[in-house]
Amino acid sequence: MSRCLFFIFILFFEHLIASVQINEPAPDFTLTDSHGDKISLSGFKGRTVILEWTNHGCPFVARHYDTGNMQEIQKTARNDNAVWISIISSAPGTQGYVSKEKANELTKQRKAFPSNILLDLKGTVGRRYGAKTTPHMYLIDKEGVLRYQGAIDDAGGRGFASKDLSKATNFVKKGLEEIKRNVSISSNTTKPYGCSIKYKSQ
Amino acid sequence: MIKNYLPRPYKNIALKLSLLLFLSLFSLTSVQGDTLYEGSDSNLRISSSTLTMNSGDSILLGLEFELNEGWHTYWINPGDAGGEASVEWKLPKGFSASEILWPGPDLIPVEPLMTFGYEDEVTLLSQLSSSSAATFPAIIKAKVSWYTCKDICIPQEGEVSIVIDKGLKKATEDESFLSAAFKKMPKTLPGSVRVEKLDNNYYLQTDIENSNSLQSAYFFPKEYGLISYTQAQNLEINDKNISLEIKPAEVSLEKDTFKGLLRLDRESGSEYFIIDEPLKKQPKTFSVQGVSILTAMVFAFLGGLILNIMPCVFPILSIKILSFVEQSDGSKKKMAQHGLAFSGGVLVTFLSIAGLLLLLKSGGESIGWGYQLQSPLMVSLLIYLFVAIGIVFMSNLVIGSQLSSLGNLATGYKDITGSFFTGVLAVVVASPCTAPFMGSALGVALLQPGFSSIAIFLSLGLGFAAPYLLLSFYPGLLRFLPKPGEWMENLKQFMAFPMWGSALWLTWVLSGQVSTETVLVVLIGALLIGMSLWLFEKTQTAVGFWKKVSTLVSVLLITLAVYIAPTKYEEIATQTTNDESIYSQKNLDLLLASNQRVFLNFTADWCITCKVNEKVALERNAVKKALESKDIKYLKADWTRKDSVIADKLAEYGRTGVPLYLMFPSEGEPIFLPELLTEDMLLNYIDELK
Repeated sequence: MSRCLFFIFILFFEHLIASVQINEPAPDFTLTDSHGDKISLSGFKGRTVILEWTNHGCPFVARHYDTGNMQEIQKTARNDNAVWISIISSAPGTQGYVSKEKANELTKQRKAFPSNILLDLKGTVGRRYGAKTTPHMYLIDKEGVLRYQGAIDDAGGRGFASKDLSKATNFVKKGLEEIKRNVSISSNTTKPYGCSIKYKSQ
Repeated sequence: MIKNYLPRPYKNIALKLSLLLFLSLFSLTSVQGDTLYEGSDSNLRISSSTLTMNSGDSILLGLEFELNEGWHTYWINPGDAGGEASVEWKLPKGFSASEILWPGPDLIPVEPLMTFGYEDEVTLLSQLSSSSAATFPAIIKAKVSWYTCKDICIPQEGEVSIVIDKGLKKATEDESFLSAAFKKMPKTLPGSVRVEKLDNNYYLQTDIENSNSLQSAYFFPKEYGLISYTQAQNLEINDKNISLEIKPAEVSLEKDTFKGLLRLDRESGSEYFIIDEPLKKQPKTFSVQGVSILTAMVFAFLGGLILNIMPCVFPILSIKILSFVEQSDGSKKKMAQHGLAFSGGVLVTFLSIAGLLLLLKSGGESIGWGYQLQSPLMVSLLIYLFVAIGIVFMSNLVIGSQLSSLGNLATGYKDITGSFFTGVLAVVVASPCTAPFMGSALGVALLQPGFSSIAIFLSLGLGFAAPYLLLSFYPGLLRFLPKPGEWMENLKQFMAFPMWGSALWLTWVLSGQVSTETVLVVLIGALLIGMSLWLFEKTQTAVGFWKKVSTLVSVLLITLAVYIAPTKYEEIATQTTNDESIYSQKNLDLLLASNQRVFLNFTADWCITCKVNEKVALERNAVKKALESKDIKYLKADWTRKDSVIADKLAEYGRTGVPLYLMFPSEGEPIFLPELLTEDMLLNYIDELK
């Protein structure tokens, strides 16, 4: 009886989860990357991980790459031995969906520095993390605990198109520094901005 | 190319032509911009209610977006994705433009996300004012950037401008359209508005006329992190008011206000109303959501285990130990049955309490753990019960199983039903002790939906019953308990003292709820109970008529005792306490507003932990001195009696019971102190308070 209750309970609880919790372990996942390798989040234990939801056709993302802003943050993060994972949750046939070859070509062309580009064709990882926009950023510390989720910087909202991104407060850079200094992140949740993620409809 | 664009383009061309003509007449060298900007899949046009104005006048300007079929642009809060338009005015000297007025948006779902915006067309408005410094003709320019989106988004940026000349205001063809758009802008609600957060849902309530013609309603949040964008909102329509149930955001941010637009839909059309209501601040330091339900269940189980050694439960423990000793020569099967019956009693009681609490909560009653002892009737009946059990222990009274459950409670180890009711009693008596250990878990339990509440209460019950279950199934463990003998009778008699001790304590609790005269009445009731039991014992061996008479008199005496027990609170002559140290929201707000440090003590007479903390820490001279030297004001919230103000305040901090100790620094969120205090620990906290 109590065991049965327990299972009903678990089902109920699972259903409730629609997003990830700050300061709780980030849910593990495994996806294929642009080189065809299986990549798991748990494989990066001991290193700080940045998750970047991306879509090269999205004007918000394009602006971050065209201005070199994204590449600069990637460089800073990777110089610090952090892992930068770009995730594409666009379903095949929608904006942002790319083949493995195209993904690698884009990296080369944009001079970007992701550690891995993961293809989340079914959108399961994106939905599990509650990723809504491109870009939508998540920071996970060495212990696998989610420390930040939200926007890449505070340039979103009105007048994004004409703002100088290098002068915006970059939440990812700030968060990485705070994780490094082992202090709590001052604003650990912000409103993500950008294009909607083109999920596969269910 | 553009849908819904007739006949306005013609009007527009006419306007442009007349403007050109007008400008050429005054031989200006160049045409300053254009009223129309043709973008990708959308156009932008600027319009004005008049093309002439005098210094000091205000006129209405419109920025009209026309979108191709299937495309949309966004409201000031775009929802899950996208972005709102931005307008940068370029105005000559002496002119100023008001904030942009945004019409009420529509829901534009982009599965699995939700966005808020406009399809087909939308007109943003702004009021243009001129001062005496204004010179004419004036070129009013707007640089606008916006997103035109379908499944993909196209960022746009365009500049539109219009020329305003000096003269009396003269309505243009656009005037009626613009003033109609102005009239449709969101308004303030005529009735009063209330926003509450209950059971982890927001409830937006407002008084409303003609509520029966209402079809649906929707609340559009102005800011991210307040409410869920994708979950349904449930509307309840009453006679004169409505209540909209809104789920909070999946990723929530701390908010001071509940801001947005309420859309009310009727057959005649939709209207939008501005909502801007303050929210009660939830302190960050204690987040109920921070404790997962599984964690809460584990804590509940441990809490249940610990309850067995708490002072409140000690008398019951003694009954149980006696019963186990006595049964140790009984059959194994019988033992297991008793163990199960006892556990059943415990679980059923926990479930009933959970059910009752949920029922009361759904009825809007402010309740809390340990609340049973807030009822003077309950306290009085428990006093009688403990007095009676003590007498039974002390005397040779053998109460037959055919008698009331009261007898079973006392000597219940005789049969299975007795074991069951011992379980019930154990829980009732233990409840005031659960609060300090269970603060967080019970907070979760009561603030969660019913199912989770019940799971947590069940864990608590299982933990509580676990040792007995273990003993009854593995009677081998009883080896460690002493062998039966004459000492058992002595022990039984001795156990009368903790019983009477509990009665004394409850009498003291009662004295905080009713007048001294009424306390006396209850003591007389206890006397009647004693007499009834004496009579019963004296005629134990009697038969026939006298037996019947004595039984009748005994029952009458008990009935009388119950009848005279108080049911309501009474005014009591309180000692003259300094009013400033009594908690009230006003007192606290006043102190905090002046950046005063505050120590807030939530306590109750029936809370033994609270009283112990007061004796060993709070009332020590060193502590008093430290509080004084750091200029920390002491506030006491006494919950001995039912008090919804205090219950609400506790709930605000995620608690349902006392004790709760909060220290407010001169600025910022309060610090939560542990529920068990020592002098040193308290001095440390005082020392570190900013």
